[in-house]
Amino acid sequence: MSQVLLVTRPNYDAATTYLFHWSKLVLQLAKKKGNQVVDLPASKANKADLLGRLQKINPKFIFLNGHGNDTTVFGQDDEALITTKDTMDSFKNMIIYSRSCSSGKRLGPYSVNKGVKAFIGYTQPFIFIYDPSLATRPLADKTAGLFLDPSNMVVTTLIKGHSPTQADKRSKDAFRKNIQKLLTSETSKENASAVRFLFWDMKHQVCLTV
Amino acid sequence: MDGRKKITSEEIKRLVVERLKTMPSGMRISIGGQGSFSKDELLAKVEEGDSIGQEIIQVELEYLRALKKGEIFNEPGAFSNTA
Repeated sequence: MSQVLLVTRPNYDAATTYLFHWSKLVLQLAKKKGNQVVDLPASKANKADLLGRLQKINPKFIFLNGHGNDTTVFGQDDEALITTKDTMDSFKNMIIYSRSCSSGKRLGPYSVNKGVKAFIGYTQPFIFIYDPSLATRPLADKTAGLFLDPSNMVVTTLIKGHSPTQADKRSKDAFRKNIQKLLTSETSKENASAVRFLFWDMKHQVCLTV
Repeated sequence: MDGRKKITSEEIKRLVVERLKTMPSGMRISIGGQGSFSKDELLAKVEEGDSIGQEIIQVELEYLRALKKGEIFNEPGAFSNTA
């Protein structure tokens, strides 16, 4: 079934650059599966563009990448995109996945109380390890992929028509699989040190529904 | 009294520092909007005890507790924080 997906992808520092590139993989898959993708990259990841597109296309789900805190998800250059000060009228009945720090703590519950169908996010900082020598080619960074592949799975599962709860579970299964692989096989020092942070992201990923 | 010695916060800090030292030096750790840090920068933050240092201590302790409880090898989906 064809769905409409809206994605924000700011790109202005190391963390957002990694999320910018890794979320491209999801966009490509969504398009390949026949979904309509509305992409707000870099400077287009601003509040005016976000609200304008929401009104126009009424997406089924929204994939937010970037920085965040308990109350806010940010776009390009730390412009607030969604906060607990918003009415959330534009987001009613939508599914939001916020790949940003801590927004699952207060913004998530607030959104769901205001009519968002589901909010998947993190109640603590989303941490990942990367190799700075690959900073200009983030998709070649396998260590970062240990974190960003499982988190991408939230969206790829939703695209396939599964529920937010199922998307959250499959993503956590992928995190766990990476952790177990690193603990039980010969692995590089770089990757072995990722285990504690993979566990952290998995543990603090939440799926909030009505 | 169960006879077990309580671990002090200083001992916890030493434990985390020693574990962090085993991390490779060439990688960076992105902690969202707080920035990206090298191993040495994180070590300094744990030693200083600032907010990022405290967060790293929390990461390590949660992981070690989970290892002790066997949570790491639980069936997939054990952490379905669905509300």
